[in-house]
Amino acid sequence: METNSFDAIVVGSGMSGGWAAKELTEKGLKTLVLERGQMVRHPDYPTAMKDPWDLPYGNRITQETRKRKYVWSRTGYPTPANEIWFVDDLENPYVEEEPFDWLRAYHVGGRSMHWARQSYRLSPMDFEANAKEGVGIPWPVSYDEIAPWYDKAELFAGISGNVDGLPQLPDGKFLPPHDLNCVEVDFKKTIDQKMGRKLIIGRCANLTAPLTHNESPQRGTCQARNMCIRGCPFGAYFSSVSATLPSAERTGNMTLLADQIVYELIYDNDKGKATGVRVIDANTGKQTEYFAKIIFMCASSLGSAYIMLNSTSSRFPNGFGNDSGELGCNIMDHNKPGGSSASVEGYLDVAYTGRRPNGFYIPRYRNVGKDKRDYLRGFGYQGRAARAGFGRFNDSAKVGADLKKEFQEPGPWNLGMTAFGEILPYHENHMKIDRSKKDKHGLPLLVVNAVVRENERKMEKDMRDDAAEMLEAAGYKNVTVRSDNFNVGNSIHEMGTARMGNDPKKSVLNKYNQVHACKNVFVTDGSFMVSSGCQNPSLTYMAFTARAADHAVSELKKGNL
Amino acid sequence: MSNDIPAGDDSVEMQQRRAVLKRVAWMLGGAVSAPAALAILQGCSAKEQPGAAWTPKFLTSDEGQLVSAIAATLIPKTETSGALEAGVPAFIDVVLEAVYPNDAQAQFKAGLAEFGAAASAAKGRSFQELAPAEREAYLKESLEKALAGNREPKPFVLMARELTLLGFFSSKVGIEENMEYVAVPTAYHGCVPLSEMKKHVYWE
Repeated sequence: METNSFDAIVVGSGMSGGWAAKELTEKGLKTLVLERGQMVRHPDYPTAMKDPWDLPYGNRITQETRKRKYVWSRTGYPTPANEIWFVDDLENPYVEEEPFDWLRAYHVGGRSMHWARQSYRLSPMDFEANAKEGVGIPWPVSYDEIAPWYDKAELFAGISGNVDGLPQLPDGKFLPPHDLNCVEVDFKKTIDQKMGRKLIIGRCANLTAPLTHNESPQRGTCQARNMCIRGCPFGAYFSSVSATLPSAERTGNMTLLADQIVYELIYDNDKGKATGVRVIDANTGKQTEYFAKIIFMCASSLGSAYIMLNSTSSRFPNGFGNDSGELGCNIMDHNKPGGSSASVEGYLDVAYTGRRPNGFYIPRYRNVGKDKRDYLRGFGYQGRAARAGFGRFNDSAKVGADLKKEFQEPGPWNLGMTAFGEILPYHENHMKIDRSKKDKHGLPLLVVNAVVRENERKMEKDMRDDAAEMLEAAGYKNVTVRSDNFNVGNSIHEMGTARMGNDPKKSVLNKYNQVHACKNVFVTDGSFMVSSGCQNPSLTYMAFTARAADHAVSELKKGNL
Repeated sequence: MSNDIPAGDDSVEMQQRRAVLKRVAWMLGGAVSAPAALAILQGCSAKEQPGAAWTPKFLTSDEGQLVSAIAATLIPKTETSGALEAGVPAFIDVVLEAVYPNDAQAQFKAGLAEFGAAASAAKGRSFQELAPAEREAYLKESLEKALAGNREPKPFVLMARELTLLGFFSSKVGIEENMEYVAVPTAYHGCVPLSEMKKHVYWE
């Protein structure tokens, strides 16, 4: 079965899998990338250039889609313009012991196709917090160790942002920042002067200027369409499909197979290594084995942990590499219990042109410096100011020509923001496999049970009240505090199911994302996270994946794997 | 995303999805549909009206006519296109069927019937048969009552207006005649005087 043998196998083609594919192939490894969903190729995004009037139903989700994509529908994301990127939840069941939004994207590129592109570094404070506070286990990696890999990820991907000089949110290698709009500029001044809180333009993976390298000729600059979620034919935002997979492809070392569901790692007891993976073809049900010297698990935090829990052997009766009993545990996300919005008076003679695929960010200030709360960690806000659209006419009694006159003028300004809070790692927040229940491929179902707990709940009050306090400080009217019912998973930042650590008794991976008990398997999606910070995590996955690939190839060359 | 995103409402990560949620909630209020006869009542020639060629599928022909009359009264043709030119009645028919859950569909149909009956009782003629000014006055009064009263469940006239606005601002004429729609803007400028904009409303 020589054709089924490679130097490396990468399981999953999303944010992390794309990076693993690029790094491993560029270092000369013949690499097989296995994606469980359908093929997607840049720049073939079927809805990307549709005008609003060419989308059916006013771009509203149909009842049929709502029924099929019932978990995704909880997010409000799916519309006719983008629904191809969201998994059919009915066809892909899982068990929610507690409500959990497992938001999956089964196609080449995974969720990198429709991520929100917000790209932040974790800070030294974030990497040190667990050790200082005795929470979970310490990170085995310091900020200084990962910083050069953040540089690498930012430079390749193209991250726009401002150099803000904030210790809790380290600066990176940025392309020029987007504009804040007029209202946001004033709001920034107000909350800084009155409260010492910082507002910055979001740091996002949209090319506000040409890349500083020549490795991605297929990518162009951002056209301010803000239709990224459909896929960008200009290649202006970073995704696996627009950026990393084309680089891997160009090496001639990548074999990318779609519709291949990896369900098990093959472990060779004599060699003490994983030798490959077992796969079911999503369309035909055909089973195949593929072999390689090293394996990168990049199937998403729950996805990778699922495959590992499903890979039992005499050596690993409780799941692959699960000597610690931590595999599938410590599920984190970012708590999103609400925010606040308000009406802004004035500024009626100004607006904006173009559609900014970005907003503002208020980095964490709670438990930073001298601030001390009765909970650990903190939260950040994402928001924006904009002029109200035609929805405002629903509250008007005007009809006919009187109403139509108002169509030609923009609505008043509003400003709103949503809080994203750190969730601590709890062993009890876990997933497992139920072998008595099967999906259409005959594979056992994933069962998940994760909730927010006391620390998160204590933080929620500040998350809502602080937002309103800032809007009031700015003199805005109709300040509304929004309280949202949050299911873990809904921020689509689920992580932590195979955490890294120095102690193999308490962690699944070592500091290079290698399974402690089987060094030729690397897990580089969100599974490895030891704490969640409150920042959007994709950039961190990119950096750790690149670092792990570098280590893997180096160890392979030394004959250590 | 279309222009009805309540601006302040959100974060980057969330703005689109919340907007969609809002619009979904907004939709779960009601709907309408209608044909050609209406256009003629309004004094417009049939050929000017894409709506005229339309045959309702979800709604009955009578329901369609009433829906058309309501939509055309809410957004009449003036120097710019109205709901009929934008194809709003056909839009409403399709959206009611594909997007609305069964209970909201039923709520809309019942509300429509009630609206028609109440108008006839009050005016001695069907809503469609009223002169445009009379229709406008009646609808305005209905909206004022609905806005002042309990909005849960959503009164029919508010459902009908939501659908009419959505259909209108999803249409080419509705968007292009009222907003600056630029498919590929190339750049974002955060602070632009309205006096320097081609149109004051920028589609987003």
